[in-house]
Amino acid sequence: MNLVSSRSLLPRSLRLLPISRRHLSTTPIAAPDGYTASTDEIARLAANPLKPLTLRDLIRFGRPPLSPQALLASARFTREFLPIRLCRRIVALRNLPFIIVSNQHVSAIYDNYQQSLRTVQLFPTSHPNTMAEEVAFTEMLIDIVKAHSNTIPVLARGFLECRRYISSAEATKFLDHHLRARIGTRLMAEQHIALHLASTQSPFSNSNPLDYDGTSGGPDTYIGTIDTSLQPAHIIESCASFVGDICELRYGVRPQLKIDGDPEVRFPYIPVHLEYIITELLKNAFRATVEAGSTVPVVVTIAAAPESAGITIRIRDQGGGIAPEDLGQIWSYSFSTFDHERSMAGSKSGGASQRNPADEDVLGRFNEVVGAAEGSSIAGLGYGLPLSRAYAEYFGGSLHVQSAFGWGTDVYLKLKGVGIGDFGGIGMGGLSGHHDDV
Amino acid sequence: MASMFPFSQRLRSCNNLSLGFPRKIFSYSPESAPSPRAFPLPFAVRHRSFGSSPIHQWRSSVVLDSFVEKPARPISLRQLIFFGGRNLDERRIIDFANYVRSELPVRIAHRIRDMQKLPYVVVTNRHLSEVYELYYSAFDAFRKIPEIGTVEDNDNFCQVVKKTLKEHLTVIPSLAMGVLECRDLVPPEELDRFMNRVLRSRISRRVIAEQHLALTDTFNSPFHFPDSSPHHHSGTDFVGEVFPRCNAREVVETVGKHAQDLAREANGSLSRVPEIQIEGHLDTTFPYILSHIEYIIGELLRNSIQATVDCHSSSLELPPIKVLICHAPQHVIFRVSDRGGGVPADELADLWSFAKGPRPQARLKNFSQVPKMAATLQELQKTSHTHSRREGQDSSLSTLTSRPPHLRLGMGLPMSRVYAEYWAGSLELHSLEGYGTDVFLQISKLGNKSEQLNLDGV
Repeated sequence: MNLVSSRSLLPRSLRLLPISRRHLSTTPIAAPDGYTASTDEIARLAANPLKPLTLRDLIRFGRPPLSPQALLASARFTREFLPIRLCRRIVALRNLPFIIVSNQHVSAIYDNYQQSLRTVQLFPTSHPNTMAEEVAFTEMLIDIVKAHSNTIPVLARGFLECRRYISSAEATKFLDHHLRARIGTRLMAEQHIALHLASTQSPFSNSNPLDYDGTSGGPDTYIGTIDTSLQPAHIIESCASFVGDICELRYGVRPQLKIDGDPEVRFPYIPVHLEYIITELLKNAFRATVEAGSTVPVVVTIAAAPESAGITIRIRDQGGGIAPEDLGQIWSYSFSTFDHERSMAGSKSGGASQRNPADEDVLGRFNEVVGAAEGSSIAGLGYGLPLSRAYAEYFGGSLHVQSAFGWGTDVYLKLKGVGIGDFGGIGMGGLSGHHDDV
Repeated sequence: MASMFPFSQRLRSCNNLSLGFPRKIFSYSPESAPSPRAFPLPFAVRHRSFGSSPIHQWRSSVVLDSFVEKPARPISLRQLIFFGGRNLDERRIIDFANYVRSELPVRIAHRIRDMQKLPYVVVTNRHLSEVYELYYSAFDAFRKIPEIGTVEDNDNFCQVVKKTLKEHLTVIPSLAMGVLECRDLVPPEELDRFMNRVLRSRISRRVIAEQHLALTDTFNSPFHFPDSSPHHHSGTDFVGEVFPRCNAREVVETVGKHAQDLAREANGSLSRVPEIQIEGHLDTTFPYILSHIEYIIGELLRNSIQATVDCHSSSLELPPIKVLICHAPQHVIFRVSDRGGGVPADELADLWSFAKGPRPQARLKNFSQVPKMAATLQELQKTSHTHSRREGQDSSLSTLTSRPPHLRLGMGLPMSRVYAEYWAGSLELHSLEGYGTDVFLQISKLGNKSEQLNLDGV
């Protein structure tokens, strides 16, 4: 069924309402048809026991193309659990100090979440029940995902502007929590969207809002957002190419990349997550290399643990390392060290030179991230490392940075396979070390 | 006759007995025993220890208390060097002698008290109770030494120190065996914490003791002239035990060759061993205690060599071990990278533990084979170190360093970390399972950080 024509099936109330930017109070915001989401109801929903999003959930509906029943089941699953997650985010936001949420950027995000909650709840519970409804539901999900794709830079901007009113530790705690939760929420929505698209149309059509970039053998290996046969070497090469382009643009130099270890290895994972992480890490490595004037290639080693227990990727550069006084900061959402001129152009690794404002534009692009994980530019706010770690840890992986100051840095990314096996068995990934506290 | 121990003190002593020895603390030795009538303790029962361990003496806890109350006075590498620098004259030697004389019993007392607070069942383990007895005898011996005023006093003092150092060579294997045997009796984390504290304190005592012995030797040597410039001792630049200019590359080369030789001998002289390649800042030097750095690097290289050999037993080429030496303003960093297949994920968590970890029975057996006495050192030590060594000089480390590769003790990493952290350094390991392992040793270069004693004063 064609998505475009199905829009007319949406009830009027579902079409996006204008967001009131300054409206902050906790009194219910009335929607045109009189539906309100009151404070109490939000609290009630948020108090639901959290169901962490496991890999089992992601694949439980089957391999695409899904039957209509399975697709509807997936839609209903999302309908049931997405509001809970949204409510928990709303509660977290509204428990922030008034002065923070009064900031125009933070309040925009707050409104966004409320809007999305209302939108989802306009579908009755235990719906959708028909394919027509399912299509409408999916389109609504797509809109929500798009609406929230800017959350990070906007939130970051807001916190930056408020840095005088909140301690660095408190802000880091909130952001870490929020952004980790966001990974799960987004994943839930995107998974259904991907399953829908894979079940109802060819994945290579142009109207596909999520990019399958075919890094694996093809759509057969995908289960929604998961590529069961993802080859990290491929992603590393494409990210290196992208980051190298930006380097060339900015510095006139393109550091070399070498891949060793086991480049052929494949494992089940979510490509957009890996892309995000690798891009951030390569950005750090390339920039350090260039700024140190080193011609030594960045070496990426891929190691596959026996019995598919996971993979380890080591990124080794000779870019001079991280100064001891900066090491304590690399994991914080370090808006507290920003000054305003640097907010759009600066970045966080130790020893970064002063940026020429005229280069802001180029650097803004340097800080763009490819892929659907983070839709738009992170704008050099220094979120790369903590956010990469959040992604890595989401399914029980880890990220460690080891610096040999005076020489270079080694970064160790460990990922557990999103344990699909032969689809019969469910592996460990996602069930332990899970940081999904939405 | 009035009791020598006022009632309040007796009560205090009773209250110290929370978990440890309710009865063994009290001494009935002639010079301190009050008459039993004035000392009607409910617990005044002579206690026989279990099993085959020797019957413990009764000792007053009051004396120990007074030493436990004193804090230890930490000393930094810089201070150690300074003490033995030019102008090593009689006054300085005597000053240092008195520092050592007063520090040793304080530091030992802290450790004894620590042991006393461990569960009874642990301290009565035959190995740990041996250590306990050694420590208490040493404590008694040292606390009774009067203030040192002359060079002759110092010489006598040094004799006592030398003797004690030698007697205590068995401590590390005994501790390790005791901890292994007790791993099911007590939470392993507690045992590890205990082990770390004891080892750190042991390093601290031996360092100041051995430094003092070395300086005394220098002072007494016929070629020593107090006002001559650069201190020479047998042609080396040691200041006592401290080597102000350890050459990083030389250490790695020497230790590496030694480890390779041992591996070759153990596996057959025609067997392959991986090459050790060194890169980075090759002229790096730093002040350190040579035996410490040699021990740590030695353990790391042994692990890497063993892993590489095991992992590639069927292939023709052994991938080399790469050692990076890097110096920054305040640190020297060694990175040892091997391709020995990495550490399995389930073993990673226990890597730094003395108590946990696989194959405890095999390790126990291996421990009993580690030579404990200096006498057997000559048999095992195949290569001579380039720097002169005095007999008994930290031979406890030397015996460990020279042990054949098949004696896997399973404590190289945690021990190395104790030594590394002792001088405010660090040891980190990253495993690429299926490929290899990277270990990072970071050393504070300036040596002006005080020894990392516990907050309560070791």
